[in-house]
Amino acid sequence: MKANYLISNKYKIPGWILLISGLILGVFLMISEYESDALEMKVLAIYNDNTIFSSDDNAGFFKIIENSILDELIALAIIIGGLLVGFSKEKVEDEFIYKLRKDSLVWAIIFNYIVLMFAVVFIYEFTFFDVLVYNMFTPLLFFIIRFNFLKFRA
Amino acid sequence: MKNNIKIERARHDMTQGDLAEKIGVSRQSINAIEKGKYVPSALLAIKIAKLFKLPVEDLFFLEEGE
Repeated sequence: MKANYLISNKYKIPGWILLISGLILGVFLMISEYESDALEMKVLAIYNDNTIFSSDDNAGFFKIIENSILDELIALAIIIGGLLVGFSKEKVEDEFIYKLRKDSLVWAIIFNYIVLMFAVVFIYEFTFFDVLVYNMFTPLLFFIIRFNFLKFRA
Repeated sequence: MKNNIKIERARHDMTQGDLAEKIGVSRQSINAIEKGKYVPSALLAIKIAKLFKLPVEDLFFLEEGE
């Protein structure tokens, strides 16, 4: 069967390693309230508007700014790891597994937005920032959890 | 859609895993098809029927109202 958009099964394990280490580091970063200055370096910002987080007047398009790239690396690890895990082929990839994957994607998107709607209505002010951060990753995570649950149950 | 795969499998003394391996699908697929949770594609249905040397109609049946 032709299984579109999927990559080789050999990326599954590296994907899990990236995803899990990203999630663990992400939780630590979350607990530390994003205070880390680790890996601070000069980066290119396509647009920089520093009214909340810093005070130097380096605002505008295409500015070189100082930033700790720890959170960026963690976010990339979770996203790349999640994509590798979710969209690499199973050991035996067939039409039923592909259907499970598609069903899980539909389920994850709907579930994610139901949770988000709930959060929009009941979570306010700065706490909502956490919701936005979680929501960068939850569609992928819900998908991976649902897919593996369905596969395990089948 | 109902099917006789479980019976045919027993007749040929095959496990779900054996059948899956012979036609190149996952064991979960055979399980889901046998339980009626998944309707296989025509391609897969014909492959299974061919393996048991049966016409597809003797292996898969429409249920009432289908």
